[in-house]
Amino acid sequence: MKKLFTTLAILASILAIILSVLPVSNLAVIPAIAALIFGLIAFYLSKKTGHIKKIIQFTFLLTIMALIIITYKAIFTETEVSSTKGLEATETKLEEEALEELEGLEIDEIEIDETELEDIPFEE
Amino acid sequence: MLRISILLVCFFSLSLNAQNNAIGPGEKLTYTASYNMSGILTDLAQVTMETSAVKTSKTSLLRLKCTATTYSKWDSFFKIRDLYESYVSPKTLTPYLYNRDINEGSYYKNMKYTFSHKTKTVKTIQKKKRNWVEKKTVSIGSGTKDIISTLYSLRTFDMTNLTKGTSKIFTILFDREEVKGKVTYLGKDTISTAIGNKVCYKLAIEAVNSNTVNGTLWLTADENKIPVYGKFKIPVGNGELKIKSATGLRH
Repeated sequence: MKKLFTTLAILASILAIILSVLPVSNLAVIPAIAALIFGLIAFYLSKKTGHIKKIIQFTFLLTIMALIIITYKAIFTETEVSSTKGLEATETKLEEEALEELEGLEIDEIEIDETELEDIPFEE
Repeated sequence: MLRISILLVCFFSLSLNAQNNAIGPGEKLTYTASYNMSGILTDLAQVTMETSAVKTSKTSLLRLKCTATTYSKWDSFFKIRDLYESYVSPKTLTPYLYNRDINEGSYYKNMKYTFSHKTKTVKTIQKKKRNWVEKKTVSIGSGTKDIISTLYSLRTFDMTNLTKGTSKIFTILFDREEVKGKVTYLGKDTISTAIGNKVCYKLAIEAVNSNTVNGTLWLTADENKIPVYGKFKIPVGNGELKIKSATGLRH
């Protein structure tokens, strides 16, 4: 039992630290909390037997580091769009090409409304 | 008999109001696309939907433009710069020209459709990296539109008297194939958005004969009928589209 919770705590803390450095750092909260819970259970069980393994303390260290990174990123990372120059250039190029093509098109006002309509019972 | 009369009322209310009274030029809607897993939101990209007037020597058209841009934190992992545009009739939103230019990571594709409604054909040009070009002409049904004009067309229908469960089938030309989509009216719902609390028409969107697309869309229950919130099911978690700002609305 002690081994199982120690292994789970190690795995969860490693997952938390990996996720925390990725752009999906928000999601690292889930394994970080799991690592804390598993670590505490493993710590409690080890305390009963009188021998606490260093690896459990290490998982706490990893988890705390992950939580610090998550908090830092949540506060200081702004969700903003950068470098849209390429997209803007594409927009202008496509618009110019489209205008040229539209000049040559025969545009007539055809109303499209041949869609089918069904009346189906509402299901939630 | 009652069923038939309800059907007819719905049909006429929809077909009579297919004229565009909701969308004008100069409208800009900005959204945040995010991934939601167990209530934890991760912002992925900014999506904008813009309209502008385009004048040719013969007529004036409406340019419907949608872009998707990943936030800077994602750019080094998976950069997306997608552009979809459709040149449509301002009255009926009938598409004449459609462009799809997608830049996703190292993948590039450009697809252009030129609609000929008289002959019911669409000339397509597909371009990929290294100057790879493929031209094809495809036949379409009379109601077929591109995905952008279909999305905007949802806003042209009068939903004030619709009964819950009423649905409408659309045919969309996507990747040079006609795909049938179904929109079902699920009733009214009040939701809180970045532009205030809004009473909305809730619509379910799904692909007919396929489970690949499955989502819910909330359109404001006013004359503008702007999409303010969208929720799409993906294998793990949900994809969400939330409105950030809306400017240049017609009403």
